[in-house]
Amino acid sequence: MIKENDKQEIKIMALIELKKVSKIYDENAVPVRAVNEVDLKIEPGEFTAIVGPSGSGKTTLLNVVGGLDKPTSGTIIINGTDISTFKTDQMISFRLHNIGFVFQAYNLIPVFTAKENVEFIMLLQGIPKEEREKKAIELLESVDLGDRVNSKPTELSGGQQQRVAVARALASKPSFVLADEPTANLDSVTANNLLDIMEKLNKDHQMTFVFSTHDARVIKRAHRVVTLKDGAIDSDLPTGQAGVEKEIVTVNET
Amino acid sequence: MLLALAWKNIWRNKKRSLIILVAITLGLWAGLFSVAVMIGSWDTTVNSTIDRNLSHIQIHTKEFKDESLISFFIPDGNNISDEISDLKEVKDVSARVLIEGMASSPSSSRGVNIIGIDPDREKNVTTIENYIVEGEYFNGIKRNPILVGKKLADKLGLKLHSKIVLSFQSVDTTLTYAAFRIVGIYKTESTPFDEAHIFVRKSDLYKTMNSQPIINEIAIRLNSSEYLDTTYTLLKEKYSSLFVESWKDLAPELEMTYEFLIVEMQIFLGIILAALLFGITNTMLMSVLDRVREFGVLIAVGMKRIRVFLLIMIETIILSLFGGIIGMALGTFTIWYFSDKGIDLSLFSEGLSAWGMPTILYPILPLYFYGVLTTMIIITGILAAVYPSIKTIKLRPADAIRTYG
Repeated sequence: MIKENDKQEIKIMALIELKKVSKIYDENAVPVRAVNEVDLKIEPGEFTAIVGPSGSGKTTLLNVVGGLDKPTSGTIIINGTDISTFKTDQMISFRLHNIGFVFQAYNLIPVFTAKENVEFIMLLQGIPKEEREKKAIELLESVDLGDRVNSKPTELSGGQQQRVAVARALASKPSFVLADEPTANLDSVTANNLLDIMEKLNKDHQMTFVFSTHDARVIKRAHRVVTLKDGAIDSDLPTGQAGVEKEIVTVNET
Repeated sequence: MLLALAWKNIWRNKKRSLIILVAITLGLWAGLFSVAVMIGSWDTTVNSTIDRNLSHIQIHTKEFKDESLISFFIPDGNNISDEISDLKEVKDVSARVLIEGMASSPSSSRGVNIIGIDPDREKNVTTIENYIVEGEYFNGIKRNPILVGKKLADKLGLKLHSKIVLSFQSVDTTLTYAAFRIVGIYKTESTPFDEAHIFVRKSDLYKTMNSQPIINEIAIRLNSSEYLDTTYTLLKEKYSSLFVESWKDLAPELEMTYEFLIVEMQIFLGIILAALLFGITNTMLMSVLDRVREFGVLIAVGMKRIRVFLLIMIETIILSLFGGIIGMALGTFTIWYFSDKGIDLSLFSEGLSAWGMPTILYPILPLYFYGVLTTMIIITGILAAVYPSIKTIKLRPADAIRTYG
């Protein structure tokens, strides 16, 4: 039985919490501040887009949140765990069990079939063969690829590959999915189709999605839009507010 | 699935994998075959020297070893010879009379080693009979028949059935002359041997010298060279007053050749392995650099670096194993084929016979060499994979994912 104080604790604990996170690259001995003292909280079940013009630090922020890159300073807390001090292998293990990734270029393993690509993550988690095969097929069905389980990436269209990537991201039962420009290589119909699937997963299973994107189609569907400018948060607004999408598109085009 | 992924990765670029496979196969094949040729050439030379006249073990008096005089004969030599021939390890024994003398023809004369033998027993100990190119082995001439080498016959201007006069110091130190008639001309792989050695019946020598049946040398042929060390030790202990020598003592140059051969083999194999090492490293490195983004993704989604490292190692080990198996099969087949048919080097016969080497070479390879060479090739393959594998574990996933290739 959860006590009243614990309930309050659960309520205030964000899924992702960034405190004064900075990432500074040394490019030719000139420090470049890609992410600049970002404070951000993302709650479970959010469908959040991080937007901004090229070079604003979207991908770097996503990499830092996903543990693919270490912050130069600041703290990143995921599910109550401070990951900013994790060692490399500790971080890999954390990613495996907590974070799903969807990349712009799909990045499937070319020699594996769709099913094997999805299964692979569960294999790394040590899930028995029968269970992971069943789950992989279920996940592929959930992204409307039940009939392409044995197709290799080269036999799938870009949209289909990205849907396999979504299924793969969900295979580890992550706490959230980080999607870096997931629709950038897709046409409108395919992009909308993919977003429908992601929205459905968000709605039905409360799966948290954090996008880094330029794409107005993603921005329109996001529940919250965080705009970055020169590595810092310029605005953080819920969508649906009058003029938000228009304002964001303008920022993206700057 | 790591194994499955490695296997699938190997065949995603068939050309590249085949290059590694062929390199390992050829490396192992060349290694096995060339070592077999080297050992075979040494072994054939040793065997032909043993067969020609040396036999496995020889016994002399100590004085005879210092100065090769007929008067330094083995006391009670014929009885000792009979005792030795009764040993189960011994095939037969040739009790010989050895005299340094002069062979003269009407046109010239040369210094020679006269070997007095019992032709029937000698046949069981050496194969001089098989080297006869003209005439017959002590057959056709009843009085004082003699076998001479082709080279000597040419130098003295003699032919089959020609008369040859031998002069030598007898047991009582008197100078003796006797006329012999050439019953056969032999030609071995060794020109120096053919030029310096003549064979006569020892009974003819006894008659010429008016001497007792003395002997200076007991040449022992064993049933197998496996018995060499034990029989040698046994005889050395039993006849401690005599000088017992194995072929290794009698022909130290052969033993030395073997040591050279080992060094030569090590250098040769070292070159093959180094070439393989760099070749495989280069190819695997290309393979790794082509897949940087993929490795980045694998690490990003949760594959531990050690597993990525192992993935590359497994790919190389699979290739090395396949290359090793095919190379070993090819090498074994080639060695087997030529060990039966022999490699004909008659084009170089003149040069080879000057060194006492046979013109047909039979490659052989002791069984353990197959294991050693195959292991060395596979280890080379694994070592070659280490550097490319280390490259992968140093990847930063955030950078690797952005790589296009």
